[in-house]
Amino acid sequence: MVTLQLVGSLRKELADSLSTCRLLVVGAGGIGCELLKNVVLTGFKNIEVIDLDIIDVSNLNRQFLFQKKHVGKSKAQVAKESVLQFCPTANITAYHDSIMNPDYNVEFFRNFMLVMNALDNRAARNHVNRMCLAADIPLIESGTAGYLGQVTVIKKGLTECYECQPKPTQKTFPGCTIRNTPSEPIHCIVWAKYLFNQLFGEEDADQEVSPDTADPELSWNPADTETRATASDQDGDIKRVSTKAWARSTGYDPVKLFNKLFKDDIQYLLTMDKLWKKRKAPLPLDWPEHQKLTCPQGVTGMGLKDQRVFGVAGYCQLFSRSVETLHSMLADKGDGAEEWIWMGNCDDPPAMDFVTAAANLRMYIFSMNMKSRFDIKSMAGNIIPAIATTNAVIAGLIVLEALKILSGDVEQCRTIFLNKQPNPRKKLLVPCALDPPSANCYVCASKPEVTVKLNVHKTLVLALQDKILKEKFGMVAPDVQIEDGKGTILISSEEGETEANNCKFLSDFAIRNGSRLQVDDFLQDYTLLVNVIHCENLEKDVEFEVVGDAPDKAPAPTRSQEEGKNVANGNKESSEPSTSSEAPAEQNDILLVDSDEEVPSSSTMAVSMESGGHKRKLHDAETGEASAKRQHLSQPSADDDNDIIALD
Amino acid sequence: MIEKEESIISEEEAAQYDRQIRLWGLDAQKRLRGSRVLLVGLRGLGAEVAKNLILAGVKGLTLLDHEQVCLTGCSRDLMVRVDQLCAQHNIKVFCGDVFGYHGYMFSDLGQEHNYVEEKPKVVKPKTDESNDGPEAKKPKVDPNETTMIKKTASFCSLKVALEVDWTNEKAKSSLKRTPVDYFLLHVLLKFRTDKGRDPHPESFEADATLLRQIRDDVLEAMGLSSELLPHDFVSYCFSEMAPVCAVVGGVLGQEVVKALSQRDAPHKNFFFFDGMKGSGVVDYFGPK
Repeated sequence: MVTLQLVGSLRKELADSLSTCRLLVVGAGGIGCELLKNVVLTGFKNIEVIDLDIIDVSNLNRQFLFQKKHVGKSKAQVAKESVLQFCPTANITAYHDSIMNPDYNVEFFRNFMLVMNALDNRAARNHVNRMCLAADIPLIESGTAGYLGQVTVIKKGLTECYECQPKPTQKTFPGCTIRNTPSEPIHCIVWAKYLFNQLFGEEDADQEVSPDTADPELSWNPADTETRATASDQDGDIKRVSTKAWARSTGYDPVKLFNKLFKDDIQYLLTMDKLWKKRKAPLPLDWPEHQKLTCPQGVTGMGLKDQRVFGVAGYCQLFSRSVETLHSMLADKGDGAEEWIWMGNCDDPPAMDFVTAAANLRMYIFSMNMKSRFDIKSMAGNIIPAIATTNAVIAGLIVLEALKILSGDVEQCRTIFLNKQPNPRKKLLVPCALDPPSANCYVCASKPEVTVKLNVHKTLVLALQDKILKEKFGMVAPDVQIEDGKGTILISSEEGETEANNCKFLSDFAIRNGSRLQVDDFLQDYTLLVNVIHCENLEKDVEFEVVGDAPDKAPAPTRSQEEGKNVANGNKESSEPSTSSEAPAEQNDILLVDSDEEVPSSSTMAVSMESGGHKRKLHDAETGEASAKRQHLSQPSADDDNDIIALD
Repeated sequence: MIEKEESIISEEEAAQYDRQIRLWGLDAQKRLRGSRVLLVGLRGLGAEVAKNLILAGVKGLTLLDHEQVCLTGCSRDLMVRVDQLCAQHNIKVFCGDVFGYHGYMFSDLGQEHNYVEEKPKVVKPKTDESNDGPEAKKPKVDPNETTMIKKTASFCSLKVALEVDWTNEKAKSSLKRTPVDYFLLHVLLKFRTDKGRDPHPESFEADATLLRQIRDDVLEAMGLSSELLPHDFVSYCFSEMAPVCAVVGGVLGQEVVKALSQRDAPHKNFFFFDGMKGSGVVDYFGPK
C-alpha cells in the first residue's frame, strides 16, 4: 500500500510546488476576481496580476473583490488589496497596465511557471498566446458569456495554440446597408454611432452616413457605379462635404440637422428607385411643429426607466436635446476634441441619448419597431450580460487544470465547456480532449506562412500595417522586409523610421503578384511570411482576403439577452479598457455559439471549439434534439472518454 | 426559504445589476430582490454559495452555522428531516457538499415548481403591419422578439432520491449510464453519519480503510458490486478543495437564483462534479 501524504486534499509534492510556483494572472475582472480567490485559497503563494482597467459600477454584480467605494480605481490594485484581506500571507504583485506593453517581453514571461488568462478581448489573447509560445510556458485560456463558459490549456508543441483555428472576424455590415437600405434595428444603431462620430467624435472614412451613390445595387453595370461616384464628387454632392464641417456651418442647429438627416437625405434615397422596387420605401420625417416641452410619456409599466419606448415625437425631442448638450460639451472641450471617441459602454448619457434618438428615428423611417434605450444600449455598446456564478465555475475549472499541469499530468488536461442545460448525455460540464497543434497554423507552425489577396495599387502601406498585420494578424509592432533580393525595409517598428512610406501604395515598392514579405514582431518573437496575391475584384468594402481562412460559420447573431449566437467573453477586438473602447459590432473570443439547426433559438447552444470550426458541436441541450453530427459522435460506452469528441 | 415581496429596483440598483438584468430580465431580478434564503453551513461550499447569492441580489440571507445542524456538511438523516419539514411548508430545499475533488448538489423544489423559459418568437409572414424587418414575407424566427413560455417541474424528496432500489432488472440495466458519484455520495454520507465528521487528512490511513469498508457494505446492501467504486477512490475525497467549492458553489448558487426567480429550467435533481475529470453531470434519481 502506497503511503499517501496529504496536505489538505493535495499530495505533498503538489502542495509544495504550489508554494514555489510563480503565477501570472492576466485580467482582474469577472473571471480574474474569482480566479484570484481560488488560487490563494488553493495554496498558490506567488501571484502577479495585471489589468489596464478601472472599476465601474456595472462590474459590482460579479467582480466581488470590488465595492462601491472602489469605483474609478485600478482593478489590479484593488483586487490585490481585497485578497490580502482574507489571505494576508499571499505574495501578490499588481500591475495597472496593458499586457501588450513591450515591458512585458519574453524574459518577463519566462519568470512564470504558468500563465492564466482572464481576458475579454481577442487582441490581448492573441498576444499572450504568442508570448507564452515564445517563452514556452503553459497557458490556461478561458472565456465566459452569460451562462456559458469554456476553459482550455495551451502548451507549445503539445496542443493547439489559441490561433491554430481561424476565428471568424467580427461581423460588419456593408456600407450600403448602413447608408441606404437598413433592414434591421442594428443597422440603424450602427448608423447612429457613425453619425455620432462624424458629428462629435473622430471622423472616419469608413463610417459614412450620407446616402451612398456608389451602391452597386443602383446599377447593373459596374462601370456606371464608378462614374456615378466620381460624378457626385465633382458635383459637390452632399457626400463631398464632411458631415462635421457641414454641421459646424449650421452651428449644430438641431432642426437643420434633423431635416438633413431624416428628411432631405431620405428624399434623396427615394430618388434611387431601383433600391425600392422590392423593399418598402423609407418615409421622410417632418420636424414636428408643435412640440410640447413636457417630458414625453412612454409606455408605462413595471420596467426600468430605460426600458420605456416613446413615440416618434419623443425621439425628435430627445434628438434635439442631446444635440444641444453634445454641442456645448464639444465647444467646452475646444478644438482637438476629436479624441472623444464613442464610449464602448455608453455610460455617457448624452451620447447614449443621441444614439437612441437617432437610431429610433431612422428605424421609424424604415418601418421598424422602435427600441427602448435599454435595448439600444445593449446593441450599441455590445454589452455581454454577465453573472457571478458562470465566472465562479470557470475559475474553479482553471485552477483544477493548473493542478494537473503542476503535477506533470498535462495529458489529463482538457478543454471544458460549461453549458446552460445538460446535453443529451446529461453533461453540464463537458470535457474534451485537447487537439495537437495545427500544422498550418500561422502562429505556431515552425515557419508560419500566409497568403493574402489584395490590390497592390490600392493598398496603402499604412493599411498593410494597421488593418492586416496588426488587426488581422495580431501583431503589436511589426517590421516588414520585402523579399526582393535587396531586403528593402517597408515598415519599421521604430517610430518615425518608415513614416514616409505610410501613404504610398504597395505597388510603389514594386510589390506585385507573387511578392513575399517577411514580417517580424520582435516583442512576440514571431516571424510570418506573407505571400501577396494581386487581385482586382475583391468584394465591395473588402480590402483584403486571407487565403484559406475558414468562411464565417456563425449565422447572423441573435440579440437575445441570454447567450445569443456569437457568444463571447468580451466584445472587443482591441484591448482598450472596457470603460472607453471603440466597440465594434460582434466579436468572437473564446466561445463560439454555432448552431446546427436552421432555426436559431436563444436556447440553442451548440458550442464549437473557438472557431469557425465545425469540429465540435455539442448540442441544443434544452430541446434535446440531436443534430446529425451529434448522433454520429455519441456512441455510448462505459469509458467516460467517449465524451471527448473526435475530429470529423 | 422564500418569502416574496413586491420590490422596486432603484436606479442605483439598475446600474449595479445591469449586466445580469440583461441576462435574466427585470422580473427575475425583482423576485430575487424580494427573496429570503436560509443558508446552513459556512465552510468552503457555504461561503461560495453565500457570495453568489449576495451578488445576485437576494433580499436577505440568514446564515446558520452549527455543527450538528447543517445543510451543507449535514448528516444524511438531518438533511432528510429538514427536507421533509420544508416540504410541508412549501419551502424549497437545496443540499450540497464537497469532498476533496468531488462535489454534488441536490434540489427539491417541491411537487409543483412553476417557471418560465424565454424562447424566440416565430414570426408569421406579415403584410401591412410594420415589424422589425420590412421585407419579411416568409416565416422566420425573429431574433429580436421573444416570448415567455410557462412550465412546471416536479421534484421528489431527498429520502426517496437516496433510496432508489437497485435490485430490480430495470435499475440494473440503467446502471451503465448512472454516474458512480451517486454511490460515492452514499459512502461519504455514511462515513459522516458513523464518524460524525468527514474524512480527514490527518487520519488518512484509518479513514481510507474505513471508507473502503463502508463502500463494501453500502454497495452490498444495494445489491451491487463493490467494483463500482474503484480501489483508489479514497485518494480524492479528503478535505474541501477550494476550486471544487467554486464550481459546485457556482452551480448550486445559480440553481437557487433560478428557483427564486422562477426563470429557466432547474436541474433535476442532482448535479455531480468530478474535479479530476472536469465532468459535471445532471441526473435524476427518484420515481419516474
